[in-house]
Amino acid sequence: MGVSLVADQPKAAEHRWGMAIDLDRCTGCEACVVACHAENNLPVIEPAEAARGRTVHWIRVDRYYEGEFPDVKVKYMPVLCQHCDDAPCEPVCPVYATYHNPEGLNVQVYNRCVGTRYCANNCPYSVRFFNFFEPHWDSPLELQHNPDVAVRMVGVMEKCTFCVQRVQRGKRDAKEAGQPVADGAIQPACVQSCPAEAMVFGDLSDPESKVSRLAESGRATRLLEDLGVKPKVFYLQKAK
Amino acid sequence: MKSNMATTVHTLPHDRLQEDVWRPLRETSTRYVITVLLVGAVALWGLFCWGYQIHKGIGVVGKNRPSMWAFYILNFVFWIGISHAGTLISAILRLTHAGWRKPVTRAAEAITVFCLMIGGLFPIIHLGRPWIFYYLIPYPNQRVLWPNFRSPLVWDLTAILTYLTGSVLFLYLPMIPDLAQLALHTTGWRRFLYRTLALGWTGSDREWHALERAMKLMAGLILAVAVSVHTVVAWDFAMAIAPLWHSTIFGPYFVVGAIFSGIAALLLIMAVIRKFMNLEAYLEPRHFENLSRLLFLMCLLWLYFTVSENLTAWYGNQPHEMQVFGTRVRGQYAPWFWLMVVCNFIVPFVLLGIRRLRNITTISISSVCVLIGMWLERFLIVFPTLAHPPLAAAWTTGYNPTWVEISIAVSTFAAMALLYLIFSKLFPIIAVWEYRYVPDE
Amino acid sequence: MDRRNFFKIVSAASGGLVTGACGKRGEQLIPLLVADRDVVPGEESWQPAVCGECDAGCGVIVRVMRGERVIEVKGERLREPVACIKKVEGNPLDPVSGGRLCARGQAAVQGLYNPDRLRGPMRREGPKGQAVFRGIEWPEAVQVAVERLKRARERDPQGIVYLAGPQAGSRARNVRAFLEALGAPPPVTFSLADFPLERKAAETVHGWQGLPVYDLANARYVLGVGADFLGTWVNPVYYGRQYGHFRQGRDTVRGTLVQAESRLSITAQSADRWVPVTPGAEVFFLAALGKLLLDQSLARNAGVLPPAIAEGFRSLDLAAALKTCGVTEHRAREIAQELGRSEAPLVIAGTSEVHTNSLQALEAAGYLNVMLGNVGRPGGVLPPANDAANQRPAFTNVVPLIAKAQVLILDGVDPAYTLPAATGVRAALEKVETTISFGPFVNDSAAYADLLLPDHHTLEASAAVVPAVTPGSGVMVSTAFVQPLYTTRATEQVLADLAKAMEVEFQPIAARAVAQEIAGEGHAWDEIQQQGGFWAERQAEKAAPPKPAARGRAAAEPPRTLEVSAASFAGDAAQFPFHFQPYLSVQHLDGRGANLPWMQEMPDPTSSAMWGLPVEIDTQTAGKLGIKNGDLVRVESAHGRLDAPAYVHPGAMPGVLSMPIGSGHQHYGRYAGRGANPLAILAPVWESTTGALALGATRVRLAKLGPEKQLIQFAPIDREHGPWGYR
Ligand SMILES: Nc1nc2c(c(=O)[nH]1)N[C@H]1C(S)=C(S)[C@@H](COP(=O)(O)OP(=O)(O)OC[C@H]3O[C@@H](n4cnc5c(=O)[nH]c(N)nc54)[C@H](O)[C@@H]3O)O[C@H]1N2
Ligand SMILES: Nc1nc2c(c(=O)[nH]1)N[C@H]1C(S)=C(S)[C@@H](COP(=O)(O)OP(=O)(O)OC[C@H]3O[C@@H](n4cnc5c(=O)[nH]c(N)nc54)[C@H](O)[C@@H]3O)O[C@H]1N2
Ligand code: SF4
Ligand code: SF4
Ligand code: SF4
Ligand code: SF4
Ligand code: SF4
Ligand SMILES: [Mo]
Repeated sequence: MGVSLVADQPKAAEHRWGMAIDLDRCTGCEACVVACHAENNLPVIEPAEAARGRTVHWIRVDRYYEGEFPDVKVKYMPVLCQHCDDAPCEPVCPVYATYHNPEGLNVQVYNRCVGTRYCANNCPYSVRFFNFFEPHWDSPLELQHNPDVAVRMVGVMEKCTFCVQRVQRGKRDAKEAGQPVADGAIQPACVQSCPAEAMVFGDLSDPESKVSRLAESGRATRLLEDLGVKPKVFYLQKAK
Repeated sequence: MKSNMATTVHTLPHDRLQEDVWRPLRETSTRYVITVLLVGAVALWGLFCWGYQIHKGIGVVGKNRPSMWAFYILNFVFWIGISHAGTLISAILRLTHAGWRKPVTRAAEAITVFCLMIGGLFPIIHLGRPWIFYYLIPYPNQRVLWPNFRSPLVWDLTAILTYLTGSVLFLYLPMIPDLAQLALHTTGWRRFLYRTLALGWTGSDREWHALERAMKLMAGLILAVAVSVHTVVAWDFAMAIAPLWHSTIFGPYFVVGAIFSGIAALLLIMAVIRKFMNLEAYLEPRHFENLSRLLFLMCLLWLYFTVSENLTAWYGNQPHEMQVFGTRVRGQYAPWFWLMVVCNFIVPFVLLGIRRLRNITTISISSVCVLIGMWLERFLIVFPTLAHPPLAAAWTTGYNPTWVEISIAVSTFAAMALLYLIFSKLFPIIAVWEYRYVPDE
Repeated sequence: MDRRNFFKIVSAASGGLVTGACGKRGEQLIPLLVADRDVVPGEESWQPAVCGECDAGCGVIVRVMRGERVIEVKGERLREPVACIKKVEGNPLDPVSGGRLCARGQAAVQGLYNPDRLRGPMRREGPKGQAVFRGIEWPEAVQVAVERLKRARERDPQGIVYLAGPQAGSRARNVRAFLEALGAPPPVTFSLADFPLERKAAETVHGWQGLPVYDLANARYVLGVGADFLGTWVNPVYYGRQYGHFRQGRDTVRGTLVQAESRLSITAQSADRWVPVTPGAEVFFLAALGKLLLDQSLARNAGVLPPAIAEGFRSLDLAAALKTCGVTEHRAREIAQELGRSEAPLVIAGTSEVHTNSLQALEAAGYLNVMLGNVGRPGGVLPPANDAANQRPAFTNVVPLIAKAQVLILDGVDPAYTLPAATGVRAALEKVETTISFGPFVNDSAAYADLLLPDHHTLEASAAVVPAVTPGSGVMVSTAFVQPLYTTRATEQVLADLAKAMEVEFQPIAARAVAQEIAGEGHAWDEIQQQGGFWAERQAEKAAPPKPAARGRAAAEPPRTLEVSAASFAGDAAQFPFHFQPYLSVQHLDGRGANLPWMQEMPDPTSSAMWGLPVEIDTQTAGKLGIKNGDLVRVESAHGRLDAPAYVHPGAMPGVLSMPIGSGHQHYGRYAGRGANPLAILAPVWESTTGALALGATRVRLAKLGPEKQLIQFAPIDREHGPWGYR
């Protein structure tokens, strides 16, 4: 590791990762929720703790009922870290445990986090989760752990990483093949699992990528857009 | 009013004052010992609870998602607020040459120091990993890792440490002449203690001038620091884009609230030491009277800010803010909100506003109410907002403090009492020399 | 992952595959990857397998890596390297899963590494039903089983009853062959997720064997009736994928979905319009639509309808039918018009809620498709690609079989949990002389077993599985690629051991042989194994000419008529005013997923409940009874009662209580067991032709017990704006 962490970083990053979620495709099946658990070693929270609101789901499917019976409609919306370009969770962290990486990911450095939970207060999407206790897996459930992802300790914040381990691997594979990262070659676990193919992940700095095209489409909106935090997750609204 | 509150201290011979003030330093009653043991035990229980929390994990408290801040932060704000009792008030009075301040200043300044020590502990207790709290401190290190100076928490840490340093100096400097006097009249370890702390004070003119200049300077500086401290505490909230936190009014609102609760705490402590240390002759009704006017003024200011805050939220009618506003004034938290209004406005307004009703007892009642009310105010700032983030799907059923949090909160009151008891046993609670040296205006 | 890359990895992995049965050194068992990059040998490989979490049989790929487990050898704790399964994903080559998986499929690995898995054979120690067992060695286990089987066989081979999971493939074939060799009756199945009515209707309407395949992806207007095809009906992965395409996969077309159901299911929630239908009255709704289509000449293919059927539709009393199903005439006409005018209309009917008259509804729906002319057409209903009837156990009501069994073998079923208490299933289980359970867990039924002969977990096993629905004929295969974690034994192997000891002629057929048989000559096993299966080309793409309806039916059969009659319900309507609808849950299906912690903490899509599922009560009823969200309520039928937390559901039909299945296990490990089992209180009412349990045929009453907060919700708020919204 060099002396200066800042100077070593590339001037302009090659990629800017983003996601599009098609609400017209999403069925609310929550395959994405479980896929994230499997990929990212999310802790299992026992019922008593779950009752206290401590369950960890890096991606959740918000559901809102609209109207009254019989004209009732349901709105499903998978919500994960929006990897805001102007992420309000970042400046408030006193120790730089959460910061923006050059490719636009909002990254969490567990070793650094002292557990003030300030970032969670300032995340408008409530997608940050805290390790209230040392995580525990009834043996041998831990054999399933993904070795690419660290298990988080008590007292630190965690959240969706856009499956940064898959991003890194995708870039490495492309580099070794001597080719640019192909559009769609990197798929976070949630995207990968979604039966309805409601989620698309890709490079927003490439105007030809699928996610860029979807983000430009007329159906694209962003959650709590008026806050101006510039989320990089685009929600494609249902259309007639 | 005037008639029943008018005795004066400056007619008393100075020796009698010194005798009265020094008596508690020499004589230790059983009542004192029992009290110390009692509050000591409670404070120790608090320490045990903290140890338990560190051992088991921060999860032993009631916090959850999204209520990530709760009891500890609320108590932090409360204690830092009360800390404004002392230094700030004493500085104001010093700068305005309010002669009646003399019996009050030391008691007040001591409050500040202890409140800051206790209040400053809360953010550390609150951490998920308190054992590495020092990551927040900017110290040179081989990894070139600095804290994030953009974070209000780092400003907070800086402000509180500065305020603590300043307050300790502000308490200590004017104590030096008294310490030198004490050193002459004591033996054994006390003598050693006082002599060391007196820093060789001889009472020369040069020294008196230097002290006076230092105190003037300190008074000015500490005023700025005190205002900024509570502004920064307010910014912990106001810098976040959470509904009803993100408000420009929070800085002054918090400062006013801090002074409000600070005066209340000071009045209460004055009433207590007046009674238990038999200082009726020095802490006169007129001192209470004057301070209570200040309390009354703060009460009106508090109302003004509270109305401004809530009226703009209500009128603006933004959905995310309305959720918080609604639960606060009409929903789940409404009983606490209206109790706060009664405590912070109705009671002091009536008891202090109507002259006939104003006496040390009603002033003390008002002060207790204000302390409760201001605690509730902090509660109403921290909880409803965090429990109602913009996306309704993230709301949970709420937050309930656990025995660990309640124990620690209660034990800090005991710790405060303990520190105060020890302080009053070691140092004169009234600045004796001020009576002797500084001519009354 | 594209096809090319996939091949590369899988073939490399298979090349180094070592699967010793009881090797001492774990390292040997790690698939060795010939690293062509800087991948460390043994670092990672992807192996094809089949998902066993439901009977749909999705093809999966499994990430295998080296891990370590702690074992105890002579009191010493040692770390032993083992090949670990890290992640299960859809097999991109499988046209069914298409590289995608449902939530349960993702969680399969938690079954494998479940702390409550059986580690070896066991014998009953305590009273039946109490699940007190003692560990034994395999030779002893086999010997005891042989003794019991021999005794039963000598007395009456009919007394040997084998209850198998409904999956078609190598397992069912082997079991059948084994039983045949013993002279015992063939295996039977009973599952809430087998959809026997759908099979039956396909047979009567189209003459097809198996589940019809709906080409949702290419349809333009879909009317779903009673089939929660995005939730738990047949194969949510397959239909979920198609649904995505149906909505936004075509440039200029967005499919319209109307869902008619007595519950706001996941599918109804996704629909453009939900048409609430009175429980059990689906057939009236469908018949009314048929009548409207015919009367208004909207049915383009009306000519091929059997005359008796057409006459049945025409002679329907429209007003009465619509009144029965609770749909307005305006709405029905609208739907009929939309169906008739659509370029590619499709009716997907199913029995996510079985009623006594469900077969009528499915047949009516089948004839709607016939008259809409979409049978065999792209965007229509396609014949099953696999004729798997001989590969799967027959579906039947198993209670009488259990009652007269001498030796009962449980393999992938849990009748004690899935059958109503009123059927007397537990008493019957208690009376069985010998019960043998092959499952890897002790569930409510295995608690009655005398002998536990645990099978490997599906991810450790070799199998060939014929998927329930598939666009072209196909078979999924998985070959064992990790060392079994425990001293479990493949059931095929146990059957072979038993046969040998009993000296009967039985040789298990390998997955390979079954797969090869389905794939036909000309497909190399290596290739099948590497791909994880064999799939013939997609049928819809072949654009098969529309097959005239009912052609496949034997000519001798008498012409069918359209039957439209009311469903019957158990329980007096005055005493038991509410309909009760237990339904297959997304998390636990028929209860089998309840032992997976991820599934327990996955918020229920409807109620957001975790760790125990609630009764869904409509707002009117809740208001009347003063029930608030989370209150404890009592649901009581003539046959039993349950206490469960209430979820006040903004979209529930008034008077209809629904409850997801999966909570309230008495056994099944540490994660299952919270909450109540809705199946337990059902009346023993069966659909008469198939013997399927009529899930929705029980009437109940409801009472509030108290405000105990047992309901754990991830998101308790289900409205976007709280009560303090705009002034
Ligand atoms: N078993 C094992 N051992 C290894 C390695 C391995 O992969 N496995 N890797 C080797 C390598 S490459 C390296 S670089 C070393 C790294 O070894 P270490 O330098 O020990 O690295 P970490 O454990 O990542 O972090 C050290 C500590 O720094 C703390 N920390 C974070 N921020 C701050 C801060 O602002 N101030 C202070 N004072 N502390 C802070 C973290 O909480 C953590 O406790 O380990 C080497 N040893
Ligand atoms: N979350 C988290 N991330 C971290 C850190 C952390 O503390 N927490 N620590 C950071 C630090 S300090 C470091 S140094 C990095 C380490 O990160 P990496 O450098 O990625 O370290 P490894 O994964 O240990 O090893 C790299 C590869 O080298 C291969 N290798 C081993 N021997 C040889 C050889 O002789 N030749 C070749 N060509 N390859 C070989 C290994 O098999 C492995 O695949 O991780 C950084 N990332
Ligand atoms: S997996 Fe896809 S369809 Fe299912 S909830 Fe997630 S985004 Fe929606
Ligand atoms: S969504 Fe929340 S956690 Fe993620 S970058 Fe934005 S503010 Fe930070
Ligand atoms: S909880 Fe951790 S990441 Fe969040 S602000 Fe505090 S130190 Fe930073
Ligand atoms: S991108 Fe990865 S980390 Fe983020 S929600 Fe999806 S699976 Fe989880
Ligand atoms: S539908 Fe889900 S549980 Fe069933 S086989 Fe497919 S992935 Fe497995
Ligand atoms: Mo390193």
